[in-house]
Amino acid sequence: MELRQQNNQRRLLDFGHPQIVLIVSAFILYPFFVSDYLIDIAFFFGIYALLGLSLNIVLGEVGLFDLGHAGFYAIGAYTTAILNTRYGVPILVLLPVSAIAAGLFAYLVCSPIIHLQGDYLLIVTLGMGEIVRLALINNPFDLTGGPNGVFGIDFPSLGTWFVIDSSIKYYFLIWIVVALSIVGLTRLQQSRIGRAWNYIREDEIAAKASGVDVRSFKLLAFILGAGLAGVAGNIYASKLMCVSPESFTFWESCLMFCIVLIGGMGSIPGVIIGAAFISLFPEIFRPFAMYRMLVFGSAMILMMMFRPGGVWPRKRGAVSFTSLLSTNGREHG
Amino acid sequence: MKLVKCFVVVCGLLSILAPSSVLGESGTVVIGLQGPITGAWAYEGQMAKQSCEIAAELINKKGGILGGKMIELRVVDDAGEPKTGALAAQKLVGQKDVVAAVSTYGSSVCEPASNIYERFKKVNIGYGVTAVRLTQRNFTYFFRTCGRDDSQGQFFADFIPKKFNATRIAIMHDNTAFGKGLAEDTKRALEPMVASRGIQIVYYDAITPGERDFRVPLTNLRESKPDVWYFTGYYAEAALLVSQARSIGITCPFIGGNAAINDEFVKIAGIDIAKGCYMTNEPLPGDLPYQEAREFLASYRDRFGEIPSSPWPIYAADALNIIAHAVDKTGSTDSGVLAKYLRDEVNGVPGITGPIGFTDQGDREGVPFYLYVVDEKGNIVVSR
Repeated sequence: MELRQQNNQRRLLDFGHPQIVLIVSAFILYPFFVSDYLIDIAFFFGIYALLGLSLNIVLGEVGLFDLGHAGFYAIGAYTTAILNTRYGVPILVLLPVSAIAAGLFAYLVCSPIIHLQGDYLLIVTLGMGEIVRLALINNPFDLTGGPNGVFGIDFPSLGTWFVIDSSIKYYFLIWIVVALSIVGLTRLQQSRIGRAWNYIREDEIAAKASGVDVRSFKLLAFILGAGLAGVAGNIYASKLMCVSPESFTFWESCLMFCIVLIGGMGSIPGVIIGAAFISLFPEIFRPFAMYRMLVFGSAMILMMMFRPGGVWPRKRGAVSFTSLLSTNGREHG
Repeated sequence: MKLVKCFVVVCGLLSILAPSSVLGESGTVVIGLQGPITGAWAYEGQMAKQSCEIAAELINKKGGILGGKMIELRVVDDAGEPKTGALAAQKLVGQKDVVAAVSTYGSSVCEPASNIYERFKKVNIGYGVTAVRLTQRNFTYFFRTCGRDDSQGQFFADFIPKKFNATRIAIMHDNTAFGKGLAEDTKRALEPMVASRGIQIVYYDAITPGERDFRVPLTNLRESKPDVWYFTGYYAEAALLVSQARSIGITCPFIGGNAAINDEFVKIAGIDIAKGCYMTNEPLPGDLPYQEAREFLASYRDRFGEIPSSPWPIYAADALNIIAHAVDKTGSTDSGVLAKYLRDEVNGVPGITGPIGFTDQGDREGVPFYLYVVDEKGNIVVSR
């Protein structure tokens, strides 16, 4: 036990990888050299990275098809928007609140459907995402403002002396959240929970037979995924200062799905690359206007033909029992 | 070192993104257009782009502005999404030579975009953004050439009592968000006239959409003896209401909101009943009587074969025209000067959609609505 703890400590503060140091410093230096427009693109790249990571828990780790993830994203964004504009709750306080709201919603909605397999679950979650969007349009209890949405959301701030109000500050906010999520999720991957998830994905019956509580682990994945999407919703809402139902369409769910598939199911660096592809590609090809989606579609098809496992598929070597206990058990991930 | 390679590739891609040349050709005035060139509203965006091209071309043909400078249009696509709208606005404000922007179609896209224009102090004029709240934010640089959601009610209040010499007004709605909203706006707009002009709202009630027999509410309506009767719901109920009203002896003019009368209405009610029914509606491009409109639409038809089929693109052309006008008259491209000029000095400048002026909040002054009527043949034409 002691050994393992030491091992974890080392991994967190590991500067032995020059590539990682290089990438992190590139991310830190990037906004100081480019225009606000390019910073904003990188911001939305961050939002999609976070959304991709959140869906990756459900789709990548456990292999549950979820095409309604935009619903959780919307719940997070609207929780932030409504509580902030009506009751003046600060945005940063609402960050965990949005996560909890989205997670709670996922728990309530997914509990009865969690036993569904494959395509069936996909259809139900697809319906769920659409129902959330339609509910927002119908303005329940005069809360969501109908098709116009909620507007006038504050900037995130700590008192009055530190207000996140510029592109560059938002950039750091989102990427710090993404970095923390990556650290957390990497450690989750290597934990008991992560292994149980992968076990369920590979063979649910075997997992059940070995004593893995399949239902609870699947629900946990949904709750964590939804919570992370709720966090993304919170930051998105405060960045745009308004939320409206057309930000949470079925298309957004599709994009998140693509991010995970392009990157490689269950692979965290893959998700980041997938998010880069999804968020940067449309901007690069915007001059092509009408042909943009055509190019986008063909790129996806080519991608799936030549790299069906994703750009950066997850490699998982066999892990021996002793290596889990030894100090350099780093072959996995 | 695979990661390093990836990083290099990403950096390479980003450098492609960097704006290649931010400065326009010397001797041009650059005006931005942010619109949904792709996406669900691409049709609207494309027409707005074409309209702005024509408007710029017409100005350039007449020798440009500021003694010979040409207008250059720079289009950015917001795909009709709030997120992309924010990016598009950020892209335009980053280009120092863009004087002002025509932006955009869709209130929820305009909201985040106009926040950015405001923060970076750039005049932006909306052309298809009707949410009332947009001009209630006390922004300095936001204007719109189109009307607001409550313009129709205002138009009714300004125009109808005079035209029909009516003092007793009945308003009927159908409890839908749209119908009730329009009825409330109309009532609110009429209220100041209650004391000054002796106008009375003698009937204000809702019917239940989907029903077939409206004789009970109509009997109440008859008892209130209205001079005109405004129905703010949809055509299916409107047709039944008019037929049944005529059969129980209500003869006052029927005026429908912009969802009440269409070809379907004429079909259901029959020409005998439908003729002489009125409707408040946004003017379609072909119905505009102004010289500027004729000239603009002629050029548009020459180039693209037909005139815009939606009312909104011509507001984009007018937004471009008024920016050009402001730059020409002030001789300045400074946002502060332009915003002040647009707010304080622009008044009754002839435009394609009629005289242009702005209120202190940045709303269009005057209400771009028309009264349409069903004629003898069942066509819906402008009531002159």
